[in-house]
Amino acid sequence: MALTVQSSPASNDYRHLVQDDRIHGSLYTDPAVFADEMQRIFTDGWVFVGHESEVPEVGDWVSRRLGTEPLLMVRNRDGAISVVANRCAHRGTTLCPQNDGNNRNFRCAYHGWTYDLDGTLLGVPGPKGFHKDTADLGLDRPGQVDDYRGFVFANRSGTAGPLSDHLGAGGTDLIDRTSDMSPTGRVRLSAGWIGQRIDSNWKMWPESDNDGYHLNFTHASMARAVPDTYYDEIVMTGEDASASITRAYDGGHVELDFRRSYSTELAWLGTKREQVADYCDALERAYGADRAKTIMWDGPPHALVFPNLFLAEMNIARIEPVAPGVTVHHHTPLLVEGTDESVNRRLVLQSEAAMGPASFFLTDDAVIAERMHRAFEGAAAGDDGWVDLSRGIEREHVEDGQRWSDITDETTNRGFWHHYRDVMASVVGNSPNGHA
Amino acid sequence: MATVDEPTRRDIEAFVYLEARLADESRYDEWEALVTEDMHYWVPFGPGDYEPGTRVSYINDNRARLGTRIRQLATGVHHAQDPPSSMRRVVSNIEILSAEDDEFEVGSNFVLYEHAVQATGHLRLWAGRATHRLRRTPDGLRMAAKKVELVNSTSPLPNLPFII
Repeated sequence: MALTVQSSPASNDYRHLVQDDRIHGSLYTDPAVFADEMQRIFTDGWVFVGHESEVPEVGDWVSRRLGTEPLLMVRNRDGAISVVANRCAHRGTTLCPQNDGNNRNFRCAYHGWTYDLDGTLLGVPGPKGFHKDTADLGLDRPGQVDDYRGFVFANRSGTAGPLSDHLGAGGTDLIDRTSDMSPTGRVRLSAGWIGQRIDSNWKMWPESDNDGYHLNFTHASMARAVPDTYYDEIVMTGEDASASITRAYDGGHVELDFRRSYSTELAWLGTKREQVADYCDALERAYGADRAKTIMWDGPPHALVFPNLFLAEMNIARIEPVAPGVTVHHHTPLLVEGTDESVNRRLVLQSEAAMGPASFFLTDDAVIAERMHRAFEGAAAGDDGWVDLSRGIEREHVEDGQRWSDITDETTNRGFWHHYRDVMASVVGNSPNGHA
Repeated sequence: MATVDEPTRRDIEAFVYLEARLADESRYDEWEALVTEDMHYWVPFGPGDYEPGTRVSYINDNRARLGTRIRQLATGVHHAQDPPSSMRRVVSNIEILSAEDDEFEVGSNFVLYEHAVQATGHLRLWAGRATHRLRRTPDGLRMAAKKVELVNSTSPLPNLPFII
């Protein structure tokens, strides 16, 4: 990998590198910035891990990364969710090299140390030669784990305060609107995850996933190949015609809000009521006619919950940083409960079209991000290599802790970066990684 | 394993090689002419031993969606294949797995080298097993299904916007 010059104190001055209307390209490529992010955002802050529906049975586990830290999300014997390091406390061997599975306990392949599902060390082979108290030697665990409506988050440092503060009113509303798409109020992530490996910095994904300005250009091929997708009326009509808006909440959560643009119910599902009658009936039974009508018209949100959870309409995506220039964009269809499976079949098909390395949309975003990353690979802090994010800054509205503006405006990008600046700026002069 | 006469075997092998070469050279109009109206093009996650649509796949195209895929490639503004990847695949271990009436199930292995020229310039290596369902028609053999099981499909994959 081509690395930039060693970081200087100036390269970590995040208040300089993230300005109100522009950011510096070295934020994508500088390894010292990446190291700071792994500490400040992915260790000291709340990060999305997974959904409780992924591990329905006792002993079910899925393998995850919190930043670059390998973790297991596990269903415990008492029914609760544990998040533990996927790393033996003895010599550090990865306990579970697969993506998912079901275990009675976790036994390390190297020397046989065995852990309960919650990470408690159960036994060490050859106990006569080992004098430490096994009660002190469980698997590493994040300092805090909490969930909101089944969406599990972890904070490794344990110092981030309550999850409800991290989500705030904006993040809470976004997860509510996502979860309410299911007639039971509980979504199900059981169709499997697909990972798309992209040779770009991870932060290009919160940006690109929630950019209302790029559709006509980045996705021009889709508009030509399928001239009647629902994206036509909600984002591809241009600056003056679209009623959609771009929105930034407190806390770095951002949304492309299409609700004002849909001209038919279920437009976001690309279908009509008679095709998914059982689902619509179930929504009405669960929520009443008025609320169900709103859900059917508004559809799910298209939004980022800072820093790594992309609520991608009827998909959930996880943005996983691997290295400054490598990211995995994981996605799974958002399935619903309390209705027949026909709507879930439709959702899987829709997911396959929109998301992933062979899809009609994300492939073009990936190449654009890779081109962008290449263009900044040699960027060092200085006069060159700035990214302009000023679009719409003079016309956005501020109310109730939110900023919103025209769908083509960079309000979402600024919302992400300004929160990023608040989080990262505290590193200066006090870097746990010694870069400052 | 099925036994077919030698002219049939030669036709089947020639079809598999032609299909591979047209895909290598991004000759999608000609490639599309090889498929039937009930074509299913499938790149599963993990082994292709599940019913498509019951869990998420990389690609699960019926004939209509495959048509969209090829139209998108032909727009000239599909950045993920602009310019098209330079590709060559080696197809081997061709076996005729079943032969019934006018349909043949054909298994083969492949190794594909892709020069991803759109952004990174990386040489990407793809490997896997293809299973073709070929049908004898008045116009010659045609493809009714292609399933591609990549050896590394359970790990994150880079862009796969071309026909594999």
